[in-house]
Amino acid sequence: MIENAFDISKELLHIEVEDSKINGYRFVTATCVDLGNGTFDVIYHFDKDLELKNLRVNVKKEEELPSISNIYFSAILVENEMKELFGLNIKNIAIDYGGHMLLSDEELDSPMAKQQIVIEKRKGDK
Amino acid sequence: MFEMIGNIFRNLSSKPATRKYPFEKRPAFKNARGQISGIDIDQCIFCGICQRKCPADALKVTKAEKSWEIDQFKCIICGACVEVCPKKCIKMEDEYKTSAYKKEAYKAVQNTAPQPPAPKED
Amino acid sequence: MGKSGKSGKSGKTVIPFGPQHPVLPEPLHLKLVMEDEIIVEAIPAIGYVHRGLEKLTEVKEFTQNVFIVERICGICSMMHAQAYCQGIETLMNIQVPDRAKYLRVIWGELHRLHSHLLWLGLLADAFGFESLFMQVWRNREKVMDIMEETAGGRVIISVNAIGGTRRDMSPEVLRKVAVIADEIKEDMMQLEKVFMADYTVKHRLVGVGVLEPDVAYEFGAVGPMARASGIKQDLRTTGYAAYGELDFEPVVETGCDSYARTMVRLREVYQSVDLIKQAIGKIPDGETSVPVKGMPNGEVISRVEQPRGEVLYYLKANGTKNLDRLRIRTPTFANIPTLLKMLPGSQLADVPILILTIDPCISCTER
Repeated sequence: MIENAFDISKELLHIEVEDSKINGYRFVTATCVDLGNGTFDVIYHFDKDLELKNLRVNVKKEEELPSISNIYFSAILVENEMKELFGLNIKNIAIDYGGHMLLSDEELDSPMAKQQIVIEKRKGDK
Repeated sequence: MFEMIGNIFRNLSSKPATRKYPFEKRPAFKNARGQISGIDIDQCIFCGICQRKCPADALKVTKAEKSWEIDQFKCIICGACVEVCPKKCIKMEDEYKTSAYKKEAYKAVQNTAPQPPAPKED
Repeated sequence: MGKSGKSGKSGKTVIPFGPQHPVLPEPLHLKLVMEDEIIVEAIPAIGYVHRGLEKLTEVKEFTQNVFIVERICGICSMMHAQAYCQGIETLMNIQVPDRAKYLRVIWGELHRLHSHLLWLGLLADAFGFESLFMQVWRNREKVMDIMEETAGGRVIISVNAIGGTRRDMSPEVLRKVAVIADEIKEDMMQLEKVFMADYTVKHRLVGVGVLEPDVAYEFGAVGPMARASGIKQDLRTTGYAAYGELDFEPVVETGCDSYARTMVRLREVYQSVDLIKQAIGKIPDGETSVPVKGMPNGEVISRVEQPRGEVLYYLKANGTKNLDRLRIRTPTFANIPTLLKMLPGSQLADVPILILTIDPCISCTER
């Protein structure tokens, strides 16, 4: 298990992130893991004096997740990428590319989520 | 701007730093990873470990017809097959691989020599 | 640099700083909103070299992933493989032998040397000083020759494996590495006078792109960008892979502008030469790798200091031979928001220099 990991709910996320900013933590990045049963695990990593603190939030596929880019501006790139590649529903990102930062118009949606790949294979077999 | 002048005079008086390729070529270093040149087919036991370890899926080993082939255009010259071969029969050369005219020509399919024929007595 | 379109009476023009530009090593697109010659706003657009490598690592076996991960970037390639191998070794509780740790330090510092020499040359080329560019790259050729002789390749050296390193260096080769490192240091000490004291170079670098320390920390700057603003942050002090036994201090400057960033990278060249000679003096005898048995299980985070900053690897394995998830956060990904903070208020002719001072490695950013 990774050290210093806390499981929190979606509502407490905003409060915990503001708390981290007041205490002098630096935002490192956010990771999204597809657990395979319709839920995603979003982990936010923070760092202070070379020690990590991780916050884990579990969301279902269509649930909305509030953005933290009004607290930490440097989160815009990561949240846009997670929104495009996994199909997470993140609201109120400070600069929102609308799903076209990395992917172009004719590719399939959310290529990194696991369910999508199974469906495409069945279509190809027919 | 005057700090470079010492450097400039030293460069004018010493020999050039570039090599006049293709008239003089640099000899390759001994342990360099250049290309997979071939296999000592008589030693190969067709176990297939090299095919499983290749990260680029460039090798194909068939036990039934006793052949080993490599697609040179997929090979990334990592050297994993050379390390895992139990008989150490895959060879790595140190000259970098050159370009080719046709894509089919570089598939080296080699068959083992058939068993030595029974001595004919006539 | 593209066409400009006037928009009404407000006097603002939008200039695309396109993906193809002679000064950029890799494609990056910026839309610059300008008034007269001063930039008001900048909007980036990335995604020109996205290859989907994180998805590919879920399909291949965990031993084959080492070769995929090193090909994310050519300039920091050995440290990507080192971070991946350190993560898997922590998951499977493998103890790497001491000689392998010192060898990883030597190859890692050679990589840092060649990356900083490449950057110094590109900076000289960006303001038109071509002869300085060629002099610095002549030294870089010596480093590439050493890497080919010891590890087999000039750019992608493929020398890390799970459990240690794949090759060894004999004592004669180690002596040769020390001699060449000294030659590079002498040459760079003469070129340092040109970087530090030349009138035209100073005119283009001093006072350009100022980033105060608290702004840099808030926006998440890493690597030489943060160290040039006075923040003392270097991951090598945590002591992974034999750095705990070597003696060094992080290089910090307080100028906060592009001149300070150039000074940080130049002094890190000398620090790398010093670290290589210390490691060659202290390297113990022994074997270079241990055999690997079993499958990884669990999740782990591993971090390594690349030439451009701090890279973070998140690995999740589930006991089979394929990994569940591999997430990579490269240092340029964290430095791009600081670029958006530095650009407003500067002149159009300074934009290439500002983009180069963050040391952009766009192929790392969109793997």
